[in-house]
Amino acid sequence: MAPANDITGDSALHEAPTPMKDKGLQPLVPPRVRTAPHLAPAGKGPAAPGITGCLFVRELVLLLFLLLMFGASSLFIEGFWDWPSLLRRSRYWAATGMVAVPMTFIISTAGIDLSVGSMMALSGITLGLLYNDAHWPIAWAACAAVAVGIAAGAFNGTVISYGRVPPLVATLATMALFRGIAMGLSRARSLKGFPDRFTWLGQGNVLDVFGTRGNGPFVPVSFLVMLGMFAIGGLLLRRTWIGRFAECIGENETAAEFAAIDVRRMKLVLYTACGLACGLAALFHTALYATAKADTARGLELEAIACVVVGGTRISGGRGSMSGALFGLLIIGILRHGLLMAEVKSQYIIICVGLLLIVAAILNERLAARRSEK
Amino acid sequence: MKHVFMVSLVAGVLIVTGCKPSSVPSETPSLSAQPALSIAVMPKLIGIDFFEATKRGAEEAAKELRVNLLYDGPTTNDVQQQVQMIETWIASKKYDAIAVAPNDPDAIAPILTEARKVGIKTVAWDADARPDARDWFVNQCTAESVARTLMDVMAEAVGPNARYLIITGSLTAWNQNTWMAEMEKYRQAKYPGMTNLTKDPLATEEDQELATQVTTDCLKRYAELQGIFAITSVALPGAAEAVRSAQAADRVFLTGLSTPNMMKGYVKEGVVKKFVLWNAVDLGYLAVHTAVACIKGDLKPGAASFSAGRLGEVRIRGDEVILGDPIVFDASNIDRFDF
Repeated sequence: MAPANDITGDSALHEAPTPMKDKGLQPLVPPRVRTAPHLAPAGKGPAAPGITGCLFVRELVLLLFLLLMFGASSLFIEGFWDWPSLLRRSRYWAATGMVAVPMTFIISTAGIDLSVGSMMALSGITLGLLYNDAHWPIAWAACAAVAVGIAAGAFNGTVISYGRVPPLVATLATMALFRGIAMGLSRARSLKGFPDRFTWLGQGNVLDVFGTRGNGPFVPVSFLVMLGMFAIGGLLLRRTWIGRFAECIGENETAAEFAAIDVRRMKLVLYTACGLACGLAALFHTALYATAKADTARGLELEAIACVVVGGTRISGGRGSMSGALFGLLIIGILRHGLLMAEVKSQYIIICVGLLLIVAAILNERLAARRSEK
Repeated sequence: MKHVFMVSLVAGVLIVTGCKPSSVPSETPSLSAQPALSIAVMPKLIGIDFFEATKRGAEEAAKELRVNLLYDGPTTNDVQQQVQMIETWIASKKYDAIAVAPNDPDAIAPILTEARKVGIKTVAWDADARPDARDWFVNQCTAESVARTLMDVMAEAVGPNARYLIITGSLTAWNQNTWMAEMEKYRQAKYPGMTNLTKDPLATEEDQELATQVTTDCLKRYAELQGIFAITSVALPGAAEAVRSAQAADRVFLTGLSTPNMMKGYVKEGVVKKFVLWNAVDLGYLAVHTAVACIKGDLKPGAASFSAGRLGEVRIRGDEVILGDPIVFDASNIDRFDF
């Protein structure tokens, strides 16, 4: 079983959180919880390889599906196979991806954040107002915008963890609240006139991949930053206690509390981190469209949640997958791009994305059910 | 397992990168061998009457001019979706021109600029994009002609001393504010005897029920009121509902801007006798004609007019193509229109 664990980097998990063992809480943990890798007793239990194997297989399946889609699209859709345009296209996925990173953690805790689009709008409007009306330097305005994102996230976190409001309700409320504040502050205007060195964040490229300097396939700045955020998120989820605690909370919150995890502070930190990611995403998003508007990023929360769920993170909590979320983002993005390219009308594209989500959700639950039977 | 993963990853990358040289050159000749022009037309959103009517016009023009037409747009009036769709259209390298009704003039500008960089002609229609980002703007009608038609309809029905008020959408809506400014200008020049009873227009935020409430209040508050302009397609039916339930159609003349389908019932009942709008079918028709003329180089800045199929000679002002004067709808002609 050791090699299987090494693959997914779960070996760290075998240094199982000692407090619960020390406190002799093992018997209190309901049977289902024992299937979670972090709670599995070290060096024992056939459950562990099953789970890690399961996670790994899922991601492999997603990767194969992605490649298959890529191959099929390239074969059957004229003009799809074009690196420069695919790379250019990736700019539009960046903001959603950046938000999907903390969303993976939050959904792992069986929570949800519906207010991400609104937090992005609020941050974007802050940026626009400070730069346009208050004539702040763009760098300071950007810092302030990120700070507003963090504050908004912290507000969510406080309401959820200390106000004991279920995340769905709390963020549904702040989704309207933050959007409303953004509307009020901007008086429904669109704010524009950002300098080129700022719009470069969203529209610019770095890294000359294929050596066609000046007119071709670079990697968009925003996409690169997003990949960086996924990498950091992946490390935090798989290699540190943060990810283990998050999944633990999602699997069974009461058990997590008994295991001496500070559930409330953990949630506060996660929702605040989500605000931070939204603040950053807002910068790139505003730069991409060179416009800050209060009704920006409408529906982005659903897109981000869709990526996370397609990627194999269970909506009911307990298991997150960062690489899965990245594959989910790419699968949904390429599906939309390919169908548009094939001149499929917009209304049918929504149907396809909806069906994909349902299939992914069913597979997720099936896999989870099989796992707990073992 | 780890090896399987790595091998499949590497193999996948090799397969996809390996495809590139073979597929790219083979595409180019087939494109150049294709004689028919391709035009992509995008409304503000799909699935509403107005933009279904423009679609019929666009299809009619495409058939007439023998060009390939793609008519598609976002499912909500969201400029970000529009930008992403245009990105894909540019990537597909299929289209010679893109005609778009932008939801935001500035947010659409960067992508239109990119389209122009790769030689795609860009046309804005229904609403303008930032002028430096598009080649032409197909303007349904000038603000002056909308204002003139509305005021003339009012004067004809109520007389040159009408006391009226204006119900608008939001106070920040650019085109409604322009129309109201033009209406005031025209009133001072032509109908100095008319009075606007409210200094500021009444906002109804594109909300039909709110328009009904606001109108009901006005009917009670202003005893001397003779005429109401409701100048958004949502405000007019809302106001009509209020006039109907107050049975005030004989005392107050209600007119404004809306679509025939929304107003048919009220016109048949006599609640609204006349209202104004441009012809949506012709607008879509003209957008395609403009795009094609632009590709072929028939449309030159500085020209006074160009010939657009069944519309005949169409007026040009600067880099705008102007559809013409709006239509006045009443019980006699409303059944001929379906949008």
